[in-house]
Amino acid sequence: MIISRLKEFDQILQLLSEKKIFLIGCGKCAKKQHTGGEPEVLELKYKLTAAGKNITGWTVLNSACSINSWDDVLEQNPAIKMSDALLIMSCGGGVSVISRYAGINVYPALDTESLGGVCCNEIVTQLCGMCGDCTIWQYGGICPVTQCSKSLLNGPCGGAVDGKCEVDERLCGWDKIFDRLKELGKLSHLEMIHEPKDHAKKSRGKKI
Amino acid sequence: MSFVSTLLSGKFIITAEISPPKGTDISRMIRDVELLKGIADAVNVTDNQRGVMRMSPLAACGIIQGKGIETIMHITCRDRNRIALQSDIIGAAALGIRNVLVMSGDHPVKGDHEGAKPVYDIDSIQLLGILKKLTLGFDLADNELSGRPDLCVGAVTNTELNEVGLIKLKKKILMGASFFQTQAVFDAKSFSGFMEKVNGIRSEKVKIIAGIIPLKSQKSADFLSKLAGIKVPEDIVQKMKRSKDPETCGMEIAANIIKEIRPMCDGVHIMPVGKHENTKMILEMAEIL
Ligand code: SF4
Ligand code: SF4
Repeated sequence: MIISRLKEFDQILQLLSEKKIFLIGCGKCAKKQHTGGEPEVLELKYKLTAAGKNITGWTVLNSACSINSWDDVLEQNPAIKMSDALLIMSCGGGVSVISRYAGINVYPALDTESLGGVCCNEIVTQLCGMCGDCTIWQYGGICPVTQCSKSLLNGPCGGAVDGKCEVDERLCGWDKIFDRLKELGKLSHLEMIHEPKDHAKKSRGKKI
Repeated sequence: MSFVSTLLSGKFIITAEISPPKGTDISRMIRDVELLKGIADAVNVTDNQRGVMRMSPLAACGIIQGKGIETIMHITCRDRNRIALQSDIIGAAALGIRNVLVMSGDHPVKGDHEGAKPVYDIDSIQLLGILKKLTLGFDLADNELSGRPDLCVGAVTNTELNEVGLIKLKKKILMGASFFQTQAVFDAKSFSGFMEKVNGIRSEKVKIIAGIIPLKSQKSADFLSKLAGIKVPEDIVQKMKRSKDPETCGMEIAANIIKEIRPMCDGVHIMPVGKHENTKMILEMAEIL
């Protein structure tokens, strides 16, 4: 799941120089996180209307980042054709896909943060850094690229205070890795010397 | 005697830390250097410590070595990718800066450019590996170097180590760190526990240089207690609190700790908050000079 958060309302308002705006939400990740489902779209519509914008209409796409055809979207939402701009409540993936076909100005209402997940209603952030070279098993399924604030592959930096990372409120990722490996009986993994990541393996827009 | 020879000679090592200036005015840095001449075996030069932007340690080391005292250049993984790190190390070596101290580096959010992109392309273990390779005449990508740097490489450690921290220390030794400078020590007893652990995994060639921060006030004691890897015991905090002359009291405390830990480790590293005007006196009080 892509983790996103709503931009400040004032910031959204500043983005929109156009008058007639059509709102698009996303029925997948953004809906689950309450950043771009129907209630959030309606709330933003209400606020924008109050701020003097003409909201021509709204929809929540099944999934903003994977659209069967833009023509279908237009057919189901004829108001898009009467709009000057689209405001998208989805991750950057959704905004990109829509920007590609819309032919008018498209604005993001959300900020995209990380690749996370959700389980039993708990949203977990920063699970994978999409490095293109997955070695997460060496760390008991806790990825140091994202769970350690410095992406250290060979052990902790020593900056944690009372178990908290020196950077933010998160627990030190390396303590978590240690605990998990201990649970799994794989503490020997900690002795591995991990070579620097091959960043060339990260996709640079190659067609798959 | 060069720092490398001093390390191997068995002499009790004295190093001291200097921060490069924030700006081009080097006068204060030079004053510190003059204070340390004939006292310190080498001067550590920090790398934008705590993420606060300052003069590059490479430039500062060049200036300081020009004044006739050997430097230990700190090098963090925070601001440079593998290309820039190797390039700086080779440049330093060509300028005669052979001693480097490797660390991950405080995250930019701790400093004065919070929005800076943290690099951390490689970590301290990998950097040690890269340095080893450079000394063998190859870069990380296996290209041959024309002229190889002759380096003396150290790393840092906390003295309060959990299991995973100790494993990392072991890896640093394995990857060629020949000396360690520790986070500030205030408690000889807990330091001896640390040394026991370290002695179990190091050879005699790997030297441990204990960090010493002379306290200046009760406030500095409170501040340091909040930092990672530093524990200021309550009796020391109280001593500072009661003292009418906290600066002298802090010097006495530092000298006492040095005396206590001297038999356990290979040297001390003095990191004053501010200037080095008391460093000589502290070492005399500790009966080292
Ligand atoms: S190792 Fe790379 S691909 Fe695997 S979880 Fe971490 S960032 Fe993602
Ligand atoms: S405190 Fe832990 S999680 Fe934070 S940067 Fe250091 S090792 Fe990584």
